[in-house]
Amino acid sequence: MKTKILFIALLAFSQLAIAQKHIAKTGHVWFYSYTPMEVIEAHNRQVVSILDVSNGDIQVILLNKSFEFKVTLMQEHFNENYMETTKFPKSSFKGKITNLDKIDFKKDGVYTAEVTGDLTIHGVTKNVSNTGTIEVMSGVITAKAKFKVIPKDFGIQIPQLVETKIAKEMEITADITYAAN
Amino acid sequence: MKKIIWVALAVVMIGLIVGAFTYLYVFRKADISVASKKADIEIKASDLLKKFTDDESSANALFLDKVIVVDGLIDSITEDSTSVSVYLKNPEDIAGTQCGFDKTAIDKSMIKTGDIIRIKGICTGYLMDVVLNKCSIEK
Repeated sequence: MKTKILFIALLAFSQLAIAQKHIAKTGHVWFYSYTPMEVIEAHNRQVVSILDVSNGDIQVILLNKSFEFKVTLMQEHFNENYMETTKFPKSSFKGKITNLDKIDFKKDGVYTAEVTGDLTIHGVTKNVSNTGTIEVMSGVITAKAKFKVIPKDFGIQIPQLVETKIAKEMEITADITYAAN
Repeated sequence: MKKIIWVALAVVMIGLIVGAFTYLYVFRKADISVASKKADIEIKASDLLKKFTDDESSANALFLDKVIVVDGLIDSITEDSTSVSVYLKNPEDIAGTQCGFDKTAIDKSMIKTGDIIRIKGICTGYLMDVVLNKCSIEK
C-alpha cells in the first residue's frame, strides 16, 4: 500500500515536473555584423529552447545551416568557410537563470534575468554570463537577450581579404517565445 | 572612328552581360532558387524522421543541404511577423518535421491542420524534430 501511494505521489510529481518545462521550437536568433564596408545580418527562426521555470535551467540549441542571409554567396561562405556547418551542425547554450527569485512566471511583467552557462559555437565551448529579459504576458513566456561574440574566440578564422567587411564582434540577439502549456 | 564606337558598344554589352550574370548568380535571393530546384530526394516525413532518430550522423551525411520533398500530415501551423512554420507529425510519432516558410512563399488559407501535404525545402538538420527551411508547397 505504502509503495502504491509513493508511486502515485511520484507520478504526480513527475507530471508537475513536466508542466514546469516550457518548450519553444520556432525561436528567433539573429546576428548582425557591422563595418563601414558591409552590413551583414542573418536570421534563424527555427531555434529550439527548453526553459524549466522550477529551477531556471535554460537550453537553447540551433542548426547553423538554418541561418538565412539576404545574399546566397554570404550564406555559402558562412557555411563552408567560417562556421564549417557540415562539421559543426549545431550551436548551443546550456545554462541557468541565477536570479530566479526575482522572476514571477505567474505574473505578467518584464523581468531582468541574469544568465550564466556554456556557449558552444564551432565546436568550442566557453563559459559566458549575460543579462536578458523574461517577459510574461498572459501566461506566455518570452526570453530575450543580446550579446557580443568574437569569432576568433571560437576558433573562427576570418581571412585578411575580407577583414574590412566582417566585424570583429558579432552582435547576437535572441527572441524566443515559449509555447503555452 | 566607326570602329571605336563598335568597340565601345561591345565593351558596354559585355559589361551588361557580366553584370546581369553576377546579379543573377551571386546576389539573387536564396529563397527563390529552392522552389525552382529539382528535388534530390523524395521521402515520407515520418521516414525522414526515423532516419535521423536511428542514426543522426549518417542521416546528416545523406540529407544536409539537400533539396527534399516530404509528404506528411499537418499537426500545427504557427507564424510570426515574417515567417510561417508548418509542423508535420504523425499522431503515433513523438517528433516530426518542422518546415519553415517565408511569409511570401505560402498562402495560409490553402492549408489546414489535418491535411496531407507535400513540402519542398532544404534540410538543415535535426534538433527535437527534423528541420527544413526555405520551404515551398509542392503540388
